[in-house]
Parts: sequence; structure tokens; C-alpha cells
Amino acid sequence: MNDRTRQLIRDALPVVALLAILGVIAIADPNFIRVENLLTVTADTMTLFLMASGATLVIMLGSIDLSIQAVASMASCIVAVMLPELGYAAIPLALLAGVVAGVVSGISVNRLRIPSFIATLAVSGIATTVAYAASRSSAPIARATSDAYLWWVAGESTPIPGWPAVENEIFVGVVALVLLSLVLTLTRYGRLVRAVGSQERAVIASGVNVDGVKLVTFMISGLMAAVAGLVMAARLGSGSPTLANEFLLPAIAAIVVGGTALTGGVGAIWKTFIGALIIAVVRIGMTFLGVTVLAQQIVFGVILVVAVAVTIDRSKVAVVK
Amino acid sequence: MTAVLELRNATKSFPGVKALDSVSMHIEPNEIVGLIGENGAGKSTLLKVLTGIYQLDEGQVLVNGREQKLRSPRDAFDHGVAMVFQEQSVISTLSVAENIFLGREGEFLVAGLINKAAMNRAARTELAKVRLDIDPATRCAHLSFAQRQMVEIAKALSLDTRIDGDIVILLDEPTSVLEKREVELLFDIVRELKARAAIVFISHRLDEVIDVADRIYVMRDGAVVQEVPASTADVHDLHEHMVGRQLHHEYYRENRQRSELGEVALSVKNLSSKGHFSDISFELQEGEILGIAGVVGSGREDLARCLAGLAPPDSGEVKAAGKVANLTSPRRAVDAGFGFIPSERKVEGLVAPLSVTENMTLPAPHEFTRRGLIRFAHETEVAKRWIDRLRIRTPSPRTPTQSLSGGNQQKVVLSKWRIAGSRIAILDHPTRGVDVGAKEDVYEMVRDMAEDGIAVVLLGDTLEEVIGLSNRILVFKDGRISATFDAAVGSKPDQVDLIANMV
Amino acid sequence: MPARLDLKALAPVAVLVLLCLVIWAFSPNFVSINNLIRILNQAAIPMVLVMGATFVILMGSIDLSVEGILSLCAVVTAALVMNPVSADLASLSAPVAAMVDANIGFLAIPVAILAGGLLGFVNGVVHVRLKVPSFMATLGIGFACLGIATAALGGFPVRISDRAFRQITLGRELFNVPNGVWLALAAVFVAYVVQEWTRVGRWIYAVGTDEVTARQSGVPVERTRIIVFTLAGLFSGLAGVMAAAQLGQGHALLGQGRLFTTITAVVVGGTALTGGVGSVLNSVVGVLIVVVLTNGMVLMGVETYVQQGVQGLLIIIAVALALDRSQLDVVK
Repeated sequence: MNDRTRQLIRDALPVVALLAILGVIAIADPNFIRVENLLTVTADTMTLFLMASGATLVIMLGSIDLSIQAVASMASCIVAVMLPELGYAAIPLALLAGVVAGVVSGISVNRLRIPSFIATLAVSGIATTVAYAASRSSAPIARATSDAYLWWVAGESTPIPGWPAVENEIFVGVVALVLLSLVLTLTRYGRLVRAVGSQERAVIASGVNVDGVKLVTFMISGLMAAVAGLVMAARLGSGSPTLANEFLLPAIAAIVVGGTALTGGVGAIWKTFIGALIIAVVRIGMTFLGVTVLAQQIVFGVILVVAVAVTIDRSKVAVVK
Repeated sequence: MTAVLELRNATKSFPGVKALDSVSMHIEPNEIVGLIGENGAGKSTLLKVLTGIYQLDEGQVLVNGREQKLRSPRDAFDHGVAMVFQEQSVISTLSVAENIFLGREGEFLVAGLINKAAMNRAARTELAKVRLDIDPATRCAHLSFAQRQMVEIAKALSLDTRIDGDIVILLDEPTSVLEKREVELLFDIVRELKARAAIVFISHRLDEVIDVADRIYVMRDGAVVQEVPASTADVHDLHEHMVGRQLHHEYYRENRQRSELGEVALSVKNLSSKGHFSDISFELQEGEILGIAGVVGSGREDLARCLAGLAPPDSGEVKAAGKVANLTSPRRAVDAGFGFIPSERKVEGLVAPLSVTENMTLPAPHEFTRRGLIRFAHETEVAKRWIDRLRIRTPSPRTPTQSLSGGNQQKVVLSKWRIAGSRIAILDHPTRGVDVGAKEDVYEMVRDMAEDGIAVVLLGDTLEEVIGLSNRILVFKDGRISATFDAAVGSKPDQVDLIANMV
Repeated sequence: MPARLDLKALAPVAVLVLLCLVIWAFSPNFVSINNLIRILNQAAIPMVLVMGATFVILMGSIDLSVEGILSLCAVVTAALVMNPVSADLASLSAPVAAMVDANIGFLAIPVAILAGGLLGFVNGVVHVRLKVPSFMATLGIGFACLGIATAALGGFPVRISDRAFRQITLGRELFNVPNGVWLALAAVFVAYVVQEWTRVGRWIYAVGTDEVTARQSGVPVERTRIIVFTLAGLFSGLAGVMAAAQLGQGHALLGQGRLFTTITAVVVGGTALTGGVGSVLNSVVGVLIVVVLTNGMVLMGVETYVQQGVQGLLIIIAVALALDRSQLDVVK
């Protein structure tokens, strides 16, 4: 079997897995695969996907972003606190904060030569501080404010008459999916992300501005994390400095389980979409089947480790540190 | 008397090259054996086989008369064979004593803890053998290069009291980083060590080898071609044996060698990089192929990387097409017109999983990108053009380069720089890992480039390659240019002439 | 006398002294006996955590599971010691119920520490055998531990009602200094002995500096890695016991924020993230710097939430200054 077929199979595995899990749950409870229910599940998964979408690019570079949850929380606080004062302007402010966090990470990696996991770990601390500075604890968003400015996230629409209403988060997620995928496949930047993740030294030797590629990538990751924070704030009706803390590991899990290798160079945004759905469905499925929360945590830890072990490109890690 | 170490018909191959070709040699107890040969002759591979890093494909290794399969350096060590590597491998945060006994601390354990006093005492004994009078508790970070070398030798020598039977110490280019005075000291010690061990050492400095060794083996193309007692060794004779076959003039397309050359494309003045090369000056004209010959460590590879922007120099001036080139990064070098074809193709030449087209267009964004978006149709068209022109064998322009053979991969690398419009090509071992048939294609491409007015700096794999392809040849030795040769067709220098200035 | 402090280690000591002087200038309270004891007390648990983390970082790896292992061991401790939780609680699974009912007093200490060691062992095995990079392996296992700690008791904290037990950190037997501080000092002593006088301690430096040479010299690299992660787990376990005793409860949140402080302390103390350079003594200085800084901020009236941000900046500055930057080394 040649390389292309092997790659196709590897790409298809997560999709097959998702369908299989859905199938198993459907047997236990056919109600699960009703369209309305599936739409709800998808909408619930969008925050996880959005958070992981930008980070997918970082991982494709061969780096990692451990600040996404802090940036998301920070964005939720900024939005919650600033909406009443600034109206719509609060949204770009929150997004900008995310981008700035990415810039700090990028500069730390490029100029200060700090490994990304330390740099982003440090940035997560800084972002958390900013979050607390904005709001000491949970900051509620008044219903009226939410309806006025966050309708495009929190509400629902019926694009196809006669069909069930679709929650707006799904549109946000789909738009993000499409835009990021286009960037990854059609732009030189996207190609460079794959190149740097595959063989950075060759890209450097070819005279490419690799630092620029990395900086932009961390900025996108910060931006998407902020978007995720925005969506979370809208859904929950409040922002808080610890809002997204639980989501770091599931986000990374979504990326890896979807088939993007930690070693970099390969991956796609749609794969993270599938990965996020798998994470969500597995969680729901386990609850359905009566698995205790205790066991669920262990299962997730195991899934993550196994997914990494399977997808990692051994030829790239001569010495595993 | 049984040989301490013996190789019988030892053969070892790597993809594309036979590193050892049925080598037979023997090392007697208490003798010093010198091992010489050109780059790629197999010397390093041979030592690595003896120290257990490589295993033979065919043939045997015999230690004290008995066949052994040495699976790791530690294994070899336990059988009495110790190696001191060319790249220093002392752990600088540990003390001298801890380095000497690294991995063997068990000797000094008392209730699970290391008895440092005992270890230091034992270390003093070993240090005395190499006349190194320092406190064994000193951290190696505080030692000089030469002192660290001695610590490594002491580590190898510590075998002496721990093994029954004779021991062998292998030294890989032990003098290349030492000053004159330190070399003298090292050789004094090596002569003293004869009493305790047999010693095999590799060096590219023939005068030193003849001075210290008892016997000399000359290797070429993976085989032993001469064995001679040092007392009767003749330098010129050794040179003759080190170099190889007759030159094939057609092989290197000598009929295409240009004699009318263009403007000065590259001017290098007093270029220096501490520890690598110093005071390098030369000029290169458009269409000229300048070959650079030299052994590993002569500085030629470092010069190539410097010109590629990968290792900024300490001082000196480089001008490309009359303008001063700032070689602080590959980007600046590429902008100045340099194109680097690296020796490690898979690491620095190509992004393996990316397609032929993607690799070819990597350094040239302006032509293939419009407002950030890739011009797919255009780049495919250009790629196809070059695939045809260079006869690159690939199922499609979209095939990942990792699926191509070495020769075709090299063609992709070369086209990359042609497409980017480089005016100065730096070729670092361009035919390494390329099979014989494809080598000729590479030579054609080099001639093509010269014809198009590109100035070429060529670090050849073999002396014949350098001689056959070049208009002019620089010989590097110990970081300086030791000789210049004109290599016009019809009056090409002999390999022996080159070797004489290299070693 | 072997100098185990790097030359670079003198820089952190200088920083510590400078910091103390600056804070003293702003706030004379700083040098009061009470405050100094408070500082030592606050440094106790981080000091223990940092010992294990230093070994891991010296090897060139990283351990992101400290919070998880600490929390889980704290919960285990609280469950095994006298507590008001009844096994009749319907939500408890059988093994958890058994633990909660058991009351083994001081025996809980070695049990919890060993549990930490076991979890560290798992970290090591996953990292070495499955070739998963350490940050990933420890992130996953840490997360799993945190989850177990949260879920085991249905999210409720377990209060420790055994007063005598809590004395292991709170009691003041010697010189009016809390016992927890002495425990931390003992941990430092043990760590130092391991670092200087055991084979593993020496091998850690070899593996962290030049793994190839280490392997060629016969150092059992894989075994060293697993031992080091197990050690780190043991220290995290001890820290968990101390945390449970100090706060009087076992709770998943006991670990929150500690990873940050631990890594900051190691880095600021002068141990290089790339491995091979540093020492547990360096890290002692690092912990003191972080704790003194926090103490200083409190004395000067700075809000608590700013601390994480400051620590983040501190990491960046310390790593940036300490790193030996070679231009074209690829940093991921």
C-alpha cells in the first residue's frame, strides 16, 4: 500500500471513530441521533473547537500553546465588564487582548529563544492577571446587554425554513473553520506553517522569515482563544477569570485525537473539528452509559496519552525529552 | 603473539556507499598504529566498528584472539577497547573523577552512596598516567580543551587496571584542536602509554603520524591499500596511495568547461571565523567554478556555511556583484544572491514531506504569491518546466520530495535556487548520497549553471570531482588557504599535488 | 569542598539579597521575626515540590503534573486520616468509601507519599516506554490525577478532624518554627544527598548534558529517567501530605497555581531548562526569591491576582537571561 493510501486511511480514522461512537450510543438510545440533539451537541462543542482551532496551527509548527484557556478567560472578563460601557467596541478590544497575548508568546519564542511551552505557560499567568484585573470574580452579563451585542453568538437562527433552528455558535464555528482552512491551504503563510513544522532548518536555509511565521501563528492562536472566550461568555451569561480553565487539556486532546501530530508538519482545521466532536461525544456517551465522572477523567488522560503516542512522528524525536 | 585487536574481511555498508570493503588489519600489544586516508576513506567508520557503535555486515572483530560482537561502546570498553572521540564528550558539570568513572561508579559505593574520597583517590592514579596534575574534584567546565582531552584519555586508560589482558585505545583526530605545544605533550604521553596499551590513532597530519606511530595503514575507498612501518614511510609514497583512480575527462564534462569568464561575481577579503578559518581571500567570476579541497576540519565546510548566512563571520568583507553582503542570516545571503546546496539535503536542503513544486518555489515568494495567496497555476507551470529541463523523475509535480531518489532530490534543490535567481551557488558535497548515474546529471547541471553565468563554489566529495569540474582550486588546511591551483582543461593538477597541501 | 553552586548561582543569591533590601526599605516590618517565620512557612511546601521538579528539569524534561499529584495525595491523606465524612454517602464508590472510613493516623503519611511515587513512576514509564514527550505525558497524568481528586469525593473537600496529625506542619516544637519548615529542610537535605552522593544524582547531570555520551559510557538512561520522575512524584506526595495537614482538608484545589510557582522558582534559581546545569541548592534560592517577592507584594499592598502575572514575567526574564542563545538553534 503506498504512502497516499496510508495517509488517506490515517486521515479517515478519526471520522470513522466518530461515526462508530455515535453508532454505539445510538444503539443504547436512538433518541440521541435526532437532528435537534445532534445540533445541540455540536453547538456545545463549538467553544472547544474555537479554542483549539488557532492552537492547531501552533501545533502544526511543532510548538505548543498552553495559554489558550487563560486568554479565553481573559477575553470573557473583558467582554463582560466592557460591554455596558463600550458597546460593540468591547468585542474587538477583547480580541485584541488575545492577539497581544500571542505577540508576547511569539516574541518570547523568537527573540528570547524560550521554548514555547514555557513562554505560553508564562503568558497564561500574565493573561490570568489581566483577567483578574478586569473582574475580581464572575462578572455577569445582563440579558439586555447580551441580546443587544452578542445576539450573533447567543441566539439562534433558522437559515432553512421548516428545518429546526440552529444555534448561532455553530455558524461562528463554521465561519472560523472555513476561514482558517482557506488560510492554511491557499496562502503562502499556510504552506510555511506546514514547512516549518516539518523541517524548520531547511526553511531557514531557504531564506524564509521563519520568525514572522511563528509570530503570526501565535497571534492567530491568541485571537481564536479570545473568540472562544467571547462565545463562552455569551453562552453562560457571564465572564470570569477561571472560566476556561478546564478546557486546556480537552482542547489539546481535540487537536491530537483529530489527527494533528504534536511533532508538527501535518494537520488540518477540519481534523480539530472532528476531534472536538469526538471529545464531546465520548464525554456525553460515557455519562449516558453511566460511567462515573471519576472514571471519565482517567479515560481522558489515557485517550490523550494514547493519541499522542500513536500520532507522534518517531523519526523526528531522536531524543525524547 | 596474539594480536590485541584484529579485523578479518570487515565489510560495512550504508545506503549508497560501501564504507568498509573487506578490511583486514591487526593491532599488536603495545604498539602505536597510525591510520590515514582521505575524507570518506573509512577511517572513522573503522574506529566506530571497533568501539561497538556500528556492527559489521560481514567479517569479524577479534579481541585477544577471540571473536566478539561489540554492541555498544560500553560493551567494547568491558572487552578492553576504549575510544576517545573527536567531538569532546566530557560532561562539563561533573568533576574530573566523575567523568573518568562515568557509568562505573558502582566500584565506589558504600551503603548506596558514592564514596567520593575513594573515587578521587582512584582518579588521581589515572590522572598520573596522563601527567595531568589537577584536583580530581574540579568541575570539567573549568578545564581547558587540552586538559579535557587528557581527562578523556584517562577515562579510556582506566581500563588498564580493570581488565585482564591487553587493552587498546582508539584516538580519532586527537590533535586537530590542540596547539603545537599541547600536541608535543600529547605525543610524549602517547609514547609513554605504549607500555600499558596498544594505541590506534587517526590524523590528517602525516608528519605527526610518521613521527609517533610504529606502523601506518593507508585507507582509500573503504579498503586498506598500504601497510608500512613508520621508519621506512615516505610522505610522497603515502600521498600516492591515499589518492585514487584515473581521471575521466568526459565524466566531468570537461569539454563544457568555460575559459571566458564574466565580471567578478564574488569577492572575499580576509574573512575569518574564530576556531574555523582565518584570513580567507579570493575572487570568483561569473561562470567560474571554484573548487575547494580540504579534509574535515580544514575550514572549507565552515566557509560554505558562512557564505550561506548560517554562520556569520567574525571579520572580513564579502561582496556579491560589487555590493557588500551582510551575511548575518540566510535571508540576507539569499537576497544577496547566494544559493546554498547543503551536504545534508534532508535536513537543510528540502522540506521532505512537501511536494516538488512547493520545495522549488520556497525561496521565491515574489514570483509565486499575489497578495498572500499562492499562484498555483503559475508555480505548477514553472515546476513542470524545470522537471523537464533537468529530467527529474517524479510521478507528478505534487509528489512529496521524500519519495524521490537522492539524485532527483538534489535536482529539486538545484532548481530551487535557479528559480530563485541565485547568482552565486555554494555546493557542499553535491553528489553525496547520489547514485552513479545521477551524479553525471548533477555535473551537467553544474556546467549549465556556469554557462548561465552563475559563479559556483564547489566543495567536492572526492579530489577527482574537484579537479575535474573546477576552473580553479583552493586547498584548505587547518583553516587557511594552503595552495591555489589553476585547473584549466589540459593542465589539471594531480591529486597528489592537492593531497600534499591538505595533510 | 566541592562547589556545587554554579557561578551563575551567585546571581540569584545577589537578586535575593537585593530584593530583601528593597522590600525592607519600603516596609520595615519585613525583618520582623514574625514575618520571617511567615516567609519560611510559606516557602515550606513549594520547597518540597521544587526539589523533585529540579531533578526533572536537570534532565532536560519537565513535570507538569505536580498540581495533580499534590492534590490527589492530599485527598488520599485526608481520607485515610480521621475525618467527619461517612462512608454512607451514596455517591462514594467502594474503594473510596473504604479509604474514608479507615483511620490510620500517621501511617497515612508514607501511604500518601508512596502513592505520589507511584504516580511519578507512571509518568516516567509513559514518557520512556511510549516515547511521549515529558510535558505531554505529565500534562495528561496530572490532569487525570486532578480529575480523580475532584471526583473521588463528589467534589466535596474532606476535613481532617485529627488535630494531632495536623501538628506535623502546624506544630512548633523547635525554636518556635513550624514543623512544616523542618520537614522542608529535611526534604532539601535528602534531595542534596541524592544529587551529590548517589549514582542517579550524577547520572541526571550526564543525561541532561549529553545523553549520547552518557549512554555510551554505560549510564542506564531509561532507568534514570523513570527513577527521576518517581522521585518527583514522591516529593509531590510529601507536599500533598503537608498541604493537607496545613489546611486541614483534602481538596483538589490545594494544588492550584503551584505549578507556576514551582517552575518560576526553579528557573529563577538558575537551573537551566535545557538541562545539565543547576542544582537543588539553586532552587532553594529560587523558592526564597519567589516567596519573598510575594511577601513583599503583600506588605506593599499589591493585590494577590497580580502575583501570577508577575511570576509569569519573572519566568520570561529569567529564562531569557539564562539561556545560552546560539543563533540558529531551532527553538520550538
